Amino acid sequence: MDSVKRIANVSFYTFLEMVRSKVLYILLFFALFIFALGIGITQMTIGNVQDIISDIGLGTIEIFSTVLSIFLGISLVHKELSLKTLHPLLARPIARPEYILGKFFGMVLLIVVEIFVMCIIFAILLTVFGGFSRFFGYMPAVYTIFLQTCTVISVAVLCSTLTEPAVAAMLTISFYLIGATSYNLVYAITSRTSDFVKNVVTTLRYVLPDFSHFNIKDNLVYGRGLEGLSLGFASVYALLIIVIVLSLAVMFFNNKEIS
Amino acid sequence: MVKPIELKNVRKVFSHPMKVWTKIESVKDLSFSMEQGEIIGFVGHNGAGKTTTIKMIMGFIRPTSGEISVFGKKPGDREVKSKIGFLPERPYFYSELTAMEVLKYFGKLSGLSGRILADKAENVLKKVGLFDDRNRKLASYSKGMLQRIGLAQAIIHDPELVIMDEPMSGLDPIGRKEVKDIIRGLKRDGKSVIFSSHILSDIENLSDRVLIIEHGKLKSFGSLHEIIRPEDVRYTIEFSCDKSMKDAVFALFDGVRIVSDRFVLDCADISDFNSKLAEVVAKGYTVLNAAGSYPSLEEIVFKEIREEENGQR
Ligand SMILES: Nc1ncnc2c1ncn2[C@@H]1O[C@H](COP(=O)(O)OP(=O)(O)OP(=O)(O)O)[C@@H](O)[C@H]1O
Ligand SMILES: [Mg+2]
Repeated sequence: MDSVKRIANVSFYTFLEMVRSKVLYILLFFALFIFALGIGITQMTIGNVQDIISDIGLGTIEIFSTVLSIFLGISLVHKELSLKTLHPLLARPIARPEYILGKFFGMVLLIVVEIFVMCIIFAILLTVFGGFSRFFGYMPAVYTIFLQTCTVISVAVLCSTLTEPAVAAMLTISFYLIGATSYNLVYAITSRTSDFVKNVVTTLRYVLPDFSHFNIKDNLVYGRGLEGLSLGFASVYALLIIVIVLSLAVMFFNNKEIS
Repeated sequence: MVKPIELKNVRKVFSHPMKVWTKIESVKDLSFSMEQGEIIGFVGHNGAGKTTTIKMIMGFIRPTSGEISVFGKKPGDREVKSKIGFLPERPYFYSELTAMEVLKYFGKLSGLSGRILADKAENVLKKVGLFDDRNRKLASYSKGMLQRIGLAQAIIHDPELVIMDEPMSGLDPIGRKEVKDIIRGLKRDGKSVIFSSHILSDIENLSDRVLIIEHGKLKSFGSLHEIIRPEDVRYTIEFSCDKSMKDAVFALFDGVRIVSDRFVLDCADISDFNSKLAEVVAKGYTVLNAAGSYPSLEEIVFKEIREEENGQR
């Protein structure tokens, strides 16, 4: 119980530190810019305006959440190591795994708030174009975007305990790109090669992160329903990735020399 | 009673940050133990291994070999850490948080909460002279102010053992005096304190025992009186000077000096002192001062370093 309290403490102050950093607002401004750009595009294209607004809105929420978690996540632990803010903190009666979890949840908290703010802006946009009734129907998509982002955060935290920000960014971005493309890639490869390659690639499919489990936004926007995608499965899948990745982070961090 | 700190044959070998195959032995076979309620001053030149030793005691890094116990347990143990207050070398804190927030953050982690935490935070901020700046972001703090907030977070939870790496560095004279008062206050309350410093007069003033390390090795450990060897005591005789006596005095005593209005005669040891004093008196000179004086810690440390270097050559 006390352990939960300590983790919550680290999370809260990690969140507070990040919320006050200027980077966040530069990025937020950037997101608004994309929103605005999207609206501009709707004026020039044919098709259902509400569909396009929805597509751009949800897409921006996903991309912005990802960029933010990579940008802030990769230096989460490393910054504390290099600035040595970590020493007085680890001198307190807190276990190292609690610290890692606290950092992770602090970042998750930030993403929750960020997604909430973006959703409000999205809702306003939909209302302006007369489509507010669709808004709550998109919540499952927002939820899976959140799940996917949490897996990215966990990877960023892991990389942040291992290496410096530049390398951590590359690794985390790779994770994201593999996750985002693995389904289509596997599909493309297996449809036109020998049985051996097919077997290798199908096996690989179970090891590589696969964000297609989180990708329900297109289905929702174009009214196709969930089509066999399950929120329950997506939740379990995300949790599995997070548990594995954070366990690795804790393992590395437990043995790390904090010098 | 269980000792606050105990080191047995502790070694720490780092690999070189650039050339990983080169090893740096920062601490070599270091053993010492601390008694409950004492203040230990930790001395040694730059790179002697003080910070490395302290980091091992805190459990941030592990010794390559040897054993460390803190209150009878392994360093880094959660329960043990609840009894420790720690001030790192050149402390740095979350720049987007205020002093008050940092203290609350750390206080909560140490199990304080509510009214008690608020009171303690306020108290300790007053003690280190930051009360008026408590709601400013630490990004705007000066070096000395960061040092002070570091001190505040080290003592907010009434720790049994306080470990400080250069607590006076970066502080103005008033700040240094305040730190000394805080350390004395901790001792009065029965706490144990170990602190490193390059300001030897501070160490001399505060410490019950002094721990000197050289190139990672224990050089000496004890109270000032124990550290000072009989041959370190300096005996001098001073007697009044008259220009007319100059030649006679110089002929009589080897190595006599004139310092402003008097002759000063340095003696090798106590018997040399006695015989020379007898001679001075026999000649009828007026003795102004004749005494054996203890060297300052500064002189001891410098002497040891010199001897070490001579020995190596
Ligand atoms: N992480 C590290 N990797 C490699 N070498 C290190 C590391 N930390 C310390 N050292 C080396 O260990 C030696 C002792 O350093 P340490 O910081 O303990 O000295 P110190 O006594 O605290 O010195 P100062 O008075 O300057 O603070 C130095 O030679 C230093 O270069
Ligand atoms: Mg040091």
